[in-house]
Amino acid sequence: MGRVIDAYGNGVTNATVTATDVDNGQMRSATTGTDGSYKFDGLPAGNYRLKFEAAGFKMLEIPATTVRGTETAVLDEKLEAGEPVNAKPTSAQQDNLPNAPSSSIRAPSLSDLGLSPEQTQGNAREQALLDKRTHMLKIHQRMGLITMGPLIATVIASMDAGGKSTSTASRDLHTALGGVTGDLYFITAYYAIRAPRVPGTETRGPIRFHKAMAWIHGPGMIMTPILGIMAFDEKSKGEKVHGIASAHGPVAIVTAGAFGAALLSVSLKF
Amino acid sequence: MNKRILIAFLFAALPTFAGADSQWVLKQSTLTYHVSHPLHQTEGVSHAARGKGVCHTGQCEFLIAVPVKSFDSGDSNRDLHTLQVTRGAEFPIVTVRTRLPESTAASATFNADLEIQFAGQTAQYKQVPFKLETQGGETHITGTIPSTLADFKIDPPSLLTMPVKNEIPVRVDMTWQPQ
Repeated sequence: MGRVIDAYGNGVTNATVTATDVDNGQMRSATTGTDGSYKFDGLPAGNYRLKFEAAGFKMLEIPATTVRGTETAVLDEKLEAGEPVNAKPTSAQQDNLPNAPSSSIRAPSLSDLGLSPEQTQGNAREQALLDKRTHMLKIHQRMGLITMGPLIATVIASMDAGGKSTSTASRDLHTALGGVTGDLYFITAYYAIRAPRVPGTETRGPIRFHKAMAWIHGPGMIMTPILGIMAFDEKSKGEKVHGIASAHGPVAIVTAGAFGAALLSVSLKF
Repeated sequence: MNKRILIAFLFAALPTFAGADSQWVLKQSTLTYHVSHPLHQTEGVSHAARGKGVCHTGQCEFLIAVPVKSFDSGDSNRDLHTLQVTRGAEFPIVTVRTRLPESTAASATFNADLEIQFAGQTAQYKQVPFKLETQGGETHITGTIPSTLADFKIDPPSLLTMPVKNEIPVRVDMTWQPQ
């Protein structure tokens, strides 16, 4: 409960007061009466962000207010929504602006522009989803970069791991590097796959190529070690790598190439 | 008789002295932000701005609003990151407010003080230069707002551990029409 007043202490009628639960993003709205008073009934206990909007006045936002108890919520905030009242008071700066916005004329409001409250009100839940997505994709990006190191080292080590004159040690090194690459790769993939999807988003631009490459390097990263184990066994028995195991090298090269292309597609503008 | 003429004149002149209201409406617009990264340059474009100007006694108050989501950089992944880093879901609308004398419409150039609300912050820009061209009853305005990420307390996003530059100039191209 509270009252919205203008710079002269008069109640502001028909102001919209929106309380957004910071934790779950749920929103409740109330409209002020003729004396500027508003009331939220049955507002659950929690932390709320309050937004005050009224035609001809600037939006005012209170980032955090705590409501205790489960009875009728009492929000003892006496708020002015009048002349340059703002979430970030800048009146001192504004004095220096010769043609800065002023309330001497009835300034247009967002509703005058045909924007509905749904379009102008924030959505804490969607922001939380975006935050989580970005957090996971940042890890995906870093892990992808880190994976490139052992991946290149594995490819280089393969030069001594195949052929006739290879030692067991070089094959072991190649196998160990391949194992590290595989582990890092699947951690990288996990963060991309588990990153939340944002509903209603159509995939456009270089990210499409990036995702398409995953259909090559993903199966490749599964096939390469399987074929590698088969090749390793044949080599260890003193046999020449033959049959399907001989595809280990080509599959690995295509996989590494697709992985590199995926990384470049989001790094450089072609 | 003279008294009647005088009264009639005063009534006729009253709207002029009172400064009759007039309005401007944003007919079309292109807003383009520019982001610089050591590896590439990116631009995001929006044509979704809405705007209105209300004039009274020679002064006009303008409000322009554009949804953050409406900016398209050509890559949906980048746009989602932009939306996240600018807190575009929490603060879905960018608003620009300014006050200009009505006589500005007759100038070829003008400077405007802008108040921009974006990403939950308010920044003010003094004397931003704009070009103005009036043709066929429409007024075409172009200019660049010298905005920075720091103005709105936005942490510069990074790609391959390299952050983007702080400067994010916004090119403005708008066509206004009197209503």
